[in-house]
Amino acid sequence: MSTLLLKKPSRENKNPAGLRPILYKSVVTLYRIFGITALYVILTGVLSYAFVMGFYAISTSWAAPVILSPSDEKSLDFTEKMVTSKQTLEGLNVDKKRLEGSISEMTGHRASLLNLEPELEAAIAREKSHNRTVGPLLSELDRQKQEDNRRTQEIMGQVKLVEAGIDRDLAAGLITKGDAATQRAALNQAQTSLTDSRINEILLTDNILEKTTTHTKSLDVLDKQAELKSEISQLDIAINVAQQQVHEEFQQIERLRAAITTAKQTPYYLIVNGGRPVYFAFVPYSNQGSASVGGGVYDCYLNMVACRKVGTVKQIFPGEEHAIHPIFRTDIRGFMVQMELDHPESAKSKTVFLNRKPLFF
Amino acid sequence: MAPVLIWLMVTLCLLISVVKYTLALILKCSVRGARIRKDYTYQPRVSVLMPCYNEGQTVYETIKSISHSNYPNDRLEVIAQDDCSADDSYQWMLEAQRDFTNIPIRAGRNAENSGKARTICNALHHSTGELIISIDSDCIFHPDAIRELAACFSEPGIGSVGGRVGVRNPNASTITAIQTFIYYAAFQLYKVPENWTRSVGCISGCLFAIRRELLLAIEPKVRARHWFGIPVNQGEDRFLTHQTLLHGYGTYINTDALCWTTVPATLSELFKQQLRWRRSVIRDLFFTLKTLPQHIWKLHPNSVATLVLTPLGAVVGLLAVLTMLSGDPMAWAGPTPLVIYLAIAAALGWAIRRYSTRERVSNPLAFGAYVAWSLVSSLFITPLALCTMDSRDWGTRTREQEASRVDLAS
Repeated sequence: MSTLLLKKPSRENKNPAGLRPILYKSVVTLYRIFGITALYVILTGVLSYAFVMGFYAISTSWAAPVILSPSDEKSLDFTEKMVTSKQTLEGLNVDKKRLEGSISEMTGHRASLLNLEPELEAAIAREKSHNRTVGPLLSELDRQKQEDNRRTQEIMGQVKLVEAGIDRDLAAGLITKGDAATQRAALNQAQTSLTDSRINEILLTDNILEKTTTHTKSLDVLDKQAELKSEISQLDIAINVAQQQVHEEFQQIERLRAAITTAKQTPYYLIVNGGRPVYFAFVPYSNQGSASVGGGVYDCYLNMVACRKVGTVKQIFPGEEHAIHPIFRTDIRGFMVQMELDHPESAKSKTVFLNRKPLFF
Repeated sequence: MAPVLIWLMVTLCLLISVVKYTLALILKCSVRGARIRKDYTYQPRVSVLMPCYNEGQTVYETIKSISHSNYPNDRLEVIAQDDCSADDSYQWMLEAQRDFTNIPIRAGRNAENSGKARTICNALHHSTGELIISIDSDCIFHPDAIRELAACFSEPGIGSVGGRVGVRNPNASTITAIQTFIYYAAFQLYKVPENWTRSVGCISGCLFAIRRELLLAIEPKVRARHWFGIPVNQGEDRFLTHQTLLHGYGTYINTDALCWTTVPATLSELFKQQLRWRRSVIRDLFFTLKTLPQHIWKLHPNSVATLVLTPLGAVVGLLAVLTMLSGDPMAWAGPTPLVIYLAIAAALGWAIRRYSTRERVSNPLAFGAYVAWSLVSSLFITPLALCTMDSRDWGTRTREQEASRVDLAS
């Protein structure tokens, strides 16, 4: 066992020779200045960062300005949809007017057909009534005619005897050839009259049949009446379908109009149709309480201190928007507000504050 | 452009780490060549150098554990060197000297407070062993530790061998639990690919064995270490390992050589320790970059990769964290990173329960705190280390020393 007490070894390089110590001392001094500065910068940065994170974690009045332009993807998309919607609306309006015209025309046609129907029925009734009156009279006349014709036929049965008497008279020289021809012509005339009378009898019989029974002509009229009713029914259906179409198109038009009205309440409509600079800010739902129309908008240095009023909230848009948190870089939901800015450069700030200064100065 | 470059470097470091860990698992499970050929009949004379500063009674326990080693007593000696402790460490050394007479124990004191590295050099000159084992004075050693270390030197090209450092106080606090996971992963996984090519980048100073002639060759450089004229007394283990590699020797970690250390139990102590280590890492990186052609020419590519990429990862990690915080501050708290961290924790927790019951952590989810620690480590320790490279402060014992000095003065 031994206890040792050692001296400092002589080989240690604690005092380098020449100019080196001065050089080393200068380097170390510069390094220390740099180191201390860097550490203070880091410390300040870390504390500031922590404060900013904490501040934005609890702040309920910040909003993130958003600069929109007509050439933005969302604006272009909005414009395209707006144009499409308007075109659809116009198309629907034209279609609706055309349908309404068709309905009007069909309704008029239906009315004229409906007016025709009673006249037709009245004519049928009148004819039936006339037939009922004329039919028995004609039947009586027909009987008389038949009797007349029968009698005439009986008389005409003696024509051969008359012709034989004429021949005898002619042969006896009692009458001239001219007289004989005249008498024969009279006989032929009588025969012709009989034939005509028979024809008339038959025609009369037909006429009576027409007047006293259901004739094909009556059926034709009834067919026409049925066709008329069918055409009216078809018109009813067509009018009904057209009216439903008009109703649906009306509803579609109303929906489109509502959509266009809503779209007109978005920032993108203002951007596309505004024509002058418009300023917006995204407000997360957690800060909804701070957003009110007419409320002040404050812009701050370093996003939180030395704030000044730069404008007011002009309009609050109802639609939901999504954005990236300006500090935490997380997805957040909220809505847009339109700002009336006295200092347009504030639209380029990372954040602004609504209603009040965040730290009261 | 800059963030892209940073993320590119981070991805590269991460990719290399993933490849390295995967390779470690494959090597550990299947490749015999990854393990050194040990010859237990090789029993050179061993000198255990124990530098000590303000360790109190712990030095007695440390010497006691060495004296109980399964190594021929006639081939073993302990050189305990006190670096002007302000407490009763030296008295405990003398006490141990009196009590453990089975091995030669030499207790010595420096003329002035010189730092750990120079204390080791001082002790070296009073040693006689062919094999020098430098140990920390707050560790407890397994009886087979010295035998295991010595057996590795039968492989001719080996210059330095380290042991596996376990945690004595895994459940003292969340801070110690975190370190238990880190220590286990480092020794059982991260060092394995380096072991394969005998090119471990840093052997822990808790249990560091080195050939005598090699240490004597390196000693002048250890004593001459300075940072622009300011003597460097930190990170001697990393420096010795690095120098071993540059002298053409191999380095190896024998995980069967066990020792147990008490790790910092408070955030403040851990911060100071990590700051000291980070300074060593950065200093070593600067040295490597300064002599990079020499490294590329002389060393195994795996050694160069280890010496460059590991410290570079620490520096780039800072930039990555800064970029992440400025770009997407909440990304680290997303479900995917948390699931990955917890999955790693669960895997490590299971491995420790299964293979190292002594280090069993009561709450395996304590590893989740490593997420926060990683941020603190990357964000604060690296810049602080970069800005305080001139510091000679050891960190963890300065306050006690000052307090004791005040007591002594009064």
